[in-house]
Amino acid sequence: MAFISIKQVSYTYNGRKKPAVKDVSLDIERGEKVAITGLNGSGKSTLAKLMLGLLKPQKGTVLLDGKPVQKYSLPEVGEKIGYLLQNPSQMLFNTTVYNEVAFGLKWRGKSRAEIHRICKGYLEHFDLWQLRDAFPFNLSEGQKQLVALTAILALQPACLVLDEPTKSIDVSRKKKLIEILEDIWRQGTGIIVISHDVGFITRFGGRRVHLVEGEVVDAAAGC
Amino acid sequence: MLQLDVRTKLLLVVIFSVLALVYQNPKVLALLLVVNILTLSILGLPLAIFRGFYKFIGLYVLLIVIQSFFVKSGEPLLKLGEMYLLTTDGIWYGLAIILRFLILAASGLFLMHCNPTELTLALVKLRLPYEIVLMVQIGIRFIPVFINELQNTFNAIQLRGVDLRRVYKRKVLRVYVSIFSPLLYSVWQKAEKLSILLELRGFRKVPVRTYYRDIALSRTDYVIMATALLMTAIFVYAVKGL
Repeated sequence: MAFISIKQVSYTYNGRKKPAVKDVSLDIERGEKVAITGLNGSGKSTLAKLMLGLLKPQKGTVLLDGKPVQKYSLPEVGEKIGYLLQNPSQMLFNTTVYNEVAFGLKWRGKSRAEIHRICKGYLEHFDLWQLRDAFPFNLSEGQKQLVALTAILALQPACLVLDEPTKSIDVSRKKKLIEILEDIWRQGTGIIVISHDVGFITRFGGRRVHLVEGEVVDAAAGC
Repeated sequence: MLQLDVRTKLLLVVIFSVLALVYQNPKVLALLLVVNILTLSILGLPLAIFRGFYKFIGLYVLLIVIQSFFVKSGEPLLKLGEMYLLTTDGIWYGLAIILRFLILAASGLFLMHCNPTELTLALVKLRLPYEIVLMVQIGIRFIPVFINELQNTFNAIQLRGVDLRRVYKRKVLRVYVSIFSPLLYSVWQKAEKLSILLELRGFRKVPVRTYYRDIALSRTDYVIMATALLMTAIFVYAVKGL
């Protein structure tokens, strides 16, 4: 059984005539590495939101772990899928970088010592430990992106959906990001990357799903 | 949908809003609401938004109860000890407030499908200072953006394990309080960036601002404006004394 199963899904935004996503069918296995590509406005982010149940399809169904995604509450979806928004600023709502990463862990009832161990581990991994007391909104866009990603990774979801993760990060951090993604993928976490950064996608590997005007035109096997 | 100049729509908004505030009699206000809805449908504006008004039924009942509680006149219909819970005058005044609210909401529909640029031009032609007009325009432009950002932040919070529907009220409050300062800061940052961008594009560099687009009143606009003013005079005369 596929981890995420999208069946004949269509979605049209309010006030628009053209569907953002049209008759898309896609199965994503647990622990799979998938790159969703396409030009701006091709429906990549809409597809991600449909996978997470943030948008309700007007046609078709989205199954998460065999159950319609709409049957899950958002926190339940969050336990299975970690989602990185295109704009990281919208994911930051704490007063320090440390609290940002610790936020989800606190709500999952982890002990103080455990939270500290996880936060320190992830923040050091991303070279963010020295920024732990910084106000997230004062960071550069690239750093914000990494803090948001760290906060998600710390919750260790079964699958990650990353919407344009390389949008504002520099070349060295991009390289580092690929290494980290590769590392967590090897540990069994599925990764779905949405991007039009060809260089990044090529190095990321995995199955490639290409969207054109809301339709899947190519779902080639991965490298 | 009938294509009208924004100034015509503004005139309709002013007429209905002023009449709604001037009259207190629910019969007059009900008549005004009917005229308002008829005008909207004649102009071809969508009335679908009215379907959502039943959701406020609790608020309507509360308004009537509050009015009954404070307005001591009229026949008491429901009492709790010495306290009036429902009186005839309370219902009367409560109805007036509800109808007023509906008329004001319906008047807003005239401007709902306005092009923001045309609205700006209309306000400039009405001799409002451009700085104020721009603030109105930015406000209109950014409301959906902020709502969307707020929704994304709430989604992000929930995806990190907080079920806002199930946690205790005190904890929910803590979440809201914790996001308030970063949110305010983000709004402040946006405003600062926007002001820099405006300066860079020469905002207020020269005292006179010209416009690429222009708006002009058509014959239909004049007819509708004249009809609206005439109808207002007839309405005021017909309900005189009520």
